[in-house]
Amino acid sequence: MFPETPELSVSIPAKTELLKMLVELTNHIAVRNFFPASESRKIALAVDEAITNVIKHSYKESSDAEIKLDFFCSNEGMKIKIEFSGIPPQLSDAMVNLEKMIKAKKKGGLGVALIKRIMDSVEYSTIKDTNYLEMIKWKKSS
Amino acid sequence: MRNFLIKSKTIENVGVLYPTGHLDAHSVEKFENEMIKMLDDSIVKIVVNCNELNYISSAGMGIIMGYLDEIREKGGDIKLSNVIDRVYEIFDLVGFTEIYEFVDSEENAIEKFKNVS
Repeated sequence: MFPETPELSVSIPAKTELLKMLVELTNHIAVRNFFPASESRKIALAVDEAITNVIKHSYKESSDAEIKLDFFCSNEGMKIKIEFSGIPPQLSDAMVNLEKMIKAKKKGGLGVALIKRIMDSVEYSTIKDTNYLEMIKWKKSS
Repeated sequence: MRNFLIKSKTIENVGVLYPTGHLDAHSVEKFENEMIKMLDDSIVKIVVNCNELNYISSAGMGIIMGYLDEIREKGGDIKLSNVIDRVYEIFDLVGFTEIYEFVDSEENAIEKFKNVS
């Protein structure tokens, strides 16, 4: 399904200033893997949301922490594996009630919903203090 | 080139925000500060002119969402204008297009506010 070796691996410090670079990188990899432009932008957004969650919630904005990303590409789709430590993330639902969130004056809570709406598979796991997030997007034609 | 800039102006009691560039968790503070400034100046009819906004993540949408209730309680609203297709797609993904009024131009958005008052 996906090769064992990632097409690209990157390790970055947990800093929000690197989000834009990651979005551009992910978009580039998706386009190169023949995803349509609109799908590629959404996959890049999902990576932005995932990394933002790690920085804000798992690492509590501690900038000396690291995040590793592996990008796997195949004819069928694209898999992004994110490895990080810190507080394990909590999965919220793909469905959000915007009216309720507005009434509650909430500014957060949309990120995981976006990830789940964009990606076909989203799985978190924690093994020996290391957290893993695997996100898969399949190509529509496959 | 800077990744994100925000400018604002007031036209006939309607505040217009001009976010430019890439609005994410890194740049969102600038956007929020400008929104707070509007509220501090008792401006509650707000147009976000997205003509130069290339990208928005949930961090930016959270600001548009988080202040809406306070704004509506004070008799105002937030309208989004000039949203380019790729950004509209993101708003649509979380259902913003059902909650907020999207208007083709800043002038029309201001006009709609005038018609309400």
